[in-house]
Parts: sequence; C-alpha cells; structure tokens
Amino acid sequence: MHLLRMMLREEYRLHVSYSSARMFLAMPIFVLLISLITSLTLRNLQATIDLEDLMLGLNAGVCLYGMSVGALGFMGRTTVERRQGKYNYIVAMPGLLPMSYRSTFLGMYVRDIIFYMALILGPAALGLAVAAPLAGYSWFAVGSVAVTLVLSFLLGISLSFAVSVIGSRSRPALFLLVGAIVAVLVGFGVFRLYGMEAFLPSIGFQTALPPFGQDYGSAWYHLVLSVLSFLGLSAVAFACVAETYDGDVKRRASKQEILPSYLRRFAFARSYRPLLAKDAVDLLRSGTIGKISFTFIAPLTFLSFSTWYVNNGLNVPVGFNLVFYASMVGFFGVMLYSWLTNMDTVDYFETLPVSPQKLIRSKLMMFLLLTTGISTSFVLALAFLNGETRLLWLALPVLYVTSAYMVVSMSYLTGLHPNSYLFNPQVLFRFALISMLPQIGLTILSFSVDSSPVVAATAIIAVLGVLLAVTLALNRRLDRRWSSTGF
Amino acid sequence: MAAIEVRDLRKKYSTVNALDGVTFEVKDGTFFGCFGPNGAGKSTLLKVLTGQIEPTEGEARVLGLDVRGNGVRIREAVGIVPEVESPPSYLTAYEFLYFVAEVRKIGNIEDRIERWLRFFDLEATKGTLCKDLSKGTRQKVMLSAAFIHEPRLLFLDEPFVNLDPIYQHKLREYLIGLREEGRTVFLCSHILDIAQKLCQEMMILNHGRVVAAGSVAELTRKEDLESLFLRMVSDDAPA
Repeated sequence: MHLLRMMLREEYRLHVSYSSARMFLAMPIFVLLISLITSLTLRNLQATIDLEDLMLGLNAGVCLYGMSVGALGFMGRTTVERRQGKYNYIVAMPGLLPMSYRSTFLGMYVRDIIFYMALILGPAALGLAVAAPLAGYSWFAVGSVAVTLVLSFLLGISLSFAVSVIGSRSRPALFLLVGAIVAVLVGFGVFRLYGMEAFLPSIGFQTALPPFGQDYGSAWYHLVLSVLSFLGLSAVAFACVAETYDGDVKRRASKQEILPSYLRRFAFARSYRPLLAKDAVDLLRSGTIGKISFTFIAPLTFLSFSTWYVNNGLNVPVGFNLVFYASMVGFFGVMLYSWLTNMDTVDYFETLPVSPQKLIRSKLMMFLLLTTGISTSFVLALAFLNGETRLLWLALPVLYVTSAYMVVSMSYLTGLHPNSYLFNPQVLFRFALISMLPQIGLTILSFSVDSSPVVAATAIIAVLGVLLAVTLALNRRLDRRWSSTGF
Repeated sequence: MAAIEVRDLRKKYSTVNALDGVTFEVKDGTFFGCFGPNGAGKSTLLKVLTGQIEPTEGEARVLGLDVRGNGVRIREAVGIVPEVESPPSYLTAYEFLYFVAEVRKIGNIEDRIERWLRFFDLEATKGTLCKDLSKGTRQKVMLSAAFIHEPRLLFLDEPFVNLDPIYQHKLREYLIGLREEGRTVFLCSHILDIAQKLCQEMMILNHGRVVAAGSVAELTRKEDLESLFLRMVSDDAPA
C-alpha cells in the first residue's frame, strides 16, 4: 500500500510538472463537463447515430484507451533500462533497493487503474449522473453505462499489460498473441461471425440490460466473464514479469553503422539532414516503426478491407464516401506525430547547436515523409476498391490539407511533448476545438457530395482554404511559441 | 578580452532564487572553476551561459554573444559536458559522434571520431547502442562529443563523474594540455583536489550567490581548497 501511495504521488507530481496543479486538477472537471454536455444532447445525437452503435464505439474507444496506457511491459522495461532524461522512476528502483520487479510492476498497474479511473472514467460517469435527472435517464441505465465503461477499460488495460509483458520476454509469443487478437477482430468486423461481446464481454453486459434488452441472466454471465477475464489477464501478466533486467548479451552486440547511409539519403533536407537521419535510425531501432504499423497502417488496411467487403461482399451500401475517409485519415494520422516525439529523450540536444523549434520542424518533416505515401496509398486503394475514383480530385486535397492542419496545430500546441501537454486541460480544450470543429464540418459536407455535388464541393474547398490559412499562420508562429523553451 | 561576462545575473524558479545577483568574469584562456554545494546554482548558471534557459534578470555574454536569443550560436562555438550523461539511446557510440560532427558541420569526420575513440579506448564498444553502454562509457562518449570540434571554450559539469581513476587521470592530463594551449574552460566539480590542480581562477557559489572569488593560488595560500570551500558554505559563513 505504501508503494502504491508513493507511485500515485509520483504520477501526480509528474503530470503537475507538465502544467500546474490547478491545470491538472481542472482535467477531471473538463471531462465531467464534456460528459454532461454530451449526455444532455444525446437524444439529438440519436437522430443520426444509433444508440447501440454509439455505445459500441464508446466502449471500444475506452478499451483502446486502456490498451494504450496498459503497455507497461514495454514502458516499464524502457524505464528500468534507461534514464528518461532528467527523470527516474520508482519502477526502476528494484535494481537498487530490496524490492521485487513483480511488486513494482503490479503497483504501477494498480496505480494506472486508479489514476485513469479518477481522472477520466469517474468524472465521465459523474457527468452522466448529473445529466440523468435533467435528461430523464434512469439511475439504473446510468449505473450500467458506468459499470460497462469501467469493465471495458479494465479489459483493455489488462490485455495490454499481459501482451506487453509476454511480448517483452518473447518476440514470437508477441506476434502470436497480436495475430490472435487481429484474427478475433477480423472475425467480428469483416466476417460477422460473432458479436463484439466475444472480444469485449462488457458489451454483452450492456446489451443485455435496458434500454437494449432485459436478459439479466446474460448480463450476469457477461459481468462475471468480464471480471474473470480482467483478473485472469492481470494474473498472467503479473506471473510473467521478469525479475531481472540485466539486458541480454545479444542486444549489446555490435550494431551495423547505418546512420551515414541515412545521412546520404536525406541529403535533400540540407541542415535538417542529420535530424531526419537520426529519426529514421530511431524509428527502426526503437521499434517505433512496428508501433506505427500496428496503430496506423493495420487499422487503415483493416478499414479499407472491411469497407470493400461490406460494400461488395455483403452488398450492403456503406453511407460513408471517399471524402469522409480522406478527412478521417488526415485527422487520425496526427497520432504519428506523438510517436515521433516519443522515440527517445532529447536532453542531449541541450549540448548541441540545435533549437527546440528546429527539432519540432524536423519532426514535422519526418511526419510528412512517413504519412504522405501511406495515406495516399490508402485513399487510392479505397477509391479503386469502392469504385469512387471520380472523388479523388476532392479526396486527396482533403487528405493533404487536414493532415498538415492537424499536425501543425498539434506541434504548435504541444511542441516536443504532445503526450504530456495533452494532460493540460487548457491545451486539450484548444486541441479538441481545433480538431473537432473542422472534422464535424467536413463529415457533414461529405454526406452531401453525391446529392448536391457542386454545393458540397464548393463548401469543402472553402473549408480547406480556411484550414490551409490557419496551418500557415500557426506554422509561422511556431518559432516564436517554442524559441524560449528548453527541450 | 573576456570569454564570459556576467553582471547581476538572476534566475528565479517560482519562489526559489536559483541565481541571486551573480557577477563575475572569465578572461580568455583561463581555466575557471565554479564550486558550490548541491543546489547552489552551478548547473543553472551553466544552463543560462549556454543559452539553454533564459535568465530572469541581469546580463550575461559568452564569447561576446548575449545569452538571450543566442543559444544556438553559443552552442555552435562551445563544447558542453552536461550534468547527466544521456547520449541518444538508439545510436551507437560511433554514430552519435558522427551525428554530432554532422550537426556541427565539421570536416574530417572519420579522423576526428577515430581520435576520440582511441583516446577513451572506445573502439571495442563503438558499435554498441548508447542505451546499452555502462555509465562510465556513456560519460566518455559525451566527453568525446564535447571535444570533437576542438572548441575555444568548454563548459564542463562534473566531467570526472563515473570515470575510473585511469580515465580521470587521462582526462585531467588532457585538460592541463588545453590550459597550456590557452583555451578557456569553465568547470563545475565536486572533486576539489583535481579542480585545485587544474583551475587558475575560481568562485564559490552558495544559495545562488558568489561567496568567494579570485585566483586559486591566492585563495588557497593559507588553506587548501577543501577547507576554504567548507568554511565558505558553512551555516555561519559571512553572507
């Protein structure tokens, strides 16, 4: 318990160091307000989106969020093996103190569950509860939604913890597990062999209860299954945590010197050449290229294939067209920027004649080099698969402008530390506003592309013009924004 | 000519005065020592002087450049060994030195790298990723990166830390060579016996203020550096 308290305090202080205690404590209030507003306007939202789809999307999102914070096997190992710049953490202490790695990893796991429940899920549930009497929701429904969200989060975090701990010990086991998860998802998403509850039993719990159903037996079954899955995955992860982190001899073996060859490849980038070459080497050696493949390329491929299959294989028309997908890829791709800024510490740049803003610009260049090809291929593939090549003239500018707009906005607001700054509610609010407003606008306009092509295309081009102007303005201000900050 | 000029420099973090009216000058070609207990403000001073952070008040010029807004130009001209040895995790020792040489746009890269790999006996580990190197080896890599462009001014924050006695000796001999060549060195260290042998001028910082300054020979005429240091930073020392 003492260790857990210390870890919670450490996590709190770390987050406070990114902004301030007041800003950090405003985060749950911000989440509560968002949840309250969404809950109050839910009935209007239901006019366009089915409640069950909304619930499915929300729980899938919460589960994914749990997965993203739960990869402690990889993150913990990195923390143990190298100092995080100026920072060092309790999890790295077993090498120095009479503590076991297993108990510190368990502490870190429980800490994250408490931390994110208190920071995100608790306030979100509270927002829904506050809205309940005003919007006329039953307390039972509010309770079941809250329990479902908690279960989805716990399933996500425990799955990620187990896979990452096993994966950090054995690469073949990692590929096998990831392959199995992808196969289960393909079975649901593409072949419709079973419902989502096969992967996420919390969904089965929710759909068995009002307003979706009244099968209390099924609800109990899925509740018990969810809890047992969470406990089982946590136990497996706990049992598989390595008790020694002395590094293996193979990793210490001499590496081929690849930097000079990348320096030649990036000769066109002039003074950015060394920074881009180093990023390319980091991408390969840190395994970030694999994470990008898993979190960006794989979902895009999955989405392309399922859209094609539902359209052509099942002959069910999908309401979304190429312009919608292009804008989604543009907005979605911004996560790659946070991967690029999170590959390694940047403290040593303090000893070199490089400014923070130059480093940010090099990350933007690498982002564009990485995503342009992948995103274009994705949009082209979707256009040919769905027979929408006639929309390419509009979809490609939508893709490029939204990508540039999103990444420049993100770099302007968060610099070299997006993962940290997005915990500052002020920054998060501005980013949410910057990203959601144009996304909603482009989504609505994309629905009218077939019914009123001239009006929709003119409006989309006007939106792109505004986004481009904002992108250029933020890009110009980037230097001033980050010139007086350190790395 | 002064390599470093500092007048009434202040750096405030929230309610803490990390630097509280620091004034000193380091003449070109001087080996200058900056000493003080933990938290005295040495690392903050070094960060201000190398343009990593901006001062709250006061003036500071390094090689004639104002530290405000000239961080990149200052770091172009000087060599820095930071307090924490943290070379990039996923470059090998050789690649890191190659990277530094490229960023600094210096010629004859291969020869320069070979020289420093030989100097610190890093040939056997030059292909190992920096994250897999021992602390001492990482420190040698950081020292090589600071020396590779042969700067006329060096800022060294605890350069001897993590080095075994063989390399402490080797580094000390190299720094003595620099002193004889007339290069300027600004050294922060807690290893006072080595510092006393190296430094010509010095100052002692305590609570962000200069509590003693002058030539090492004069200040240590009646007592050694360690006794002087302990006397100046003790609780009943004159403010």
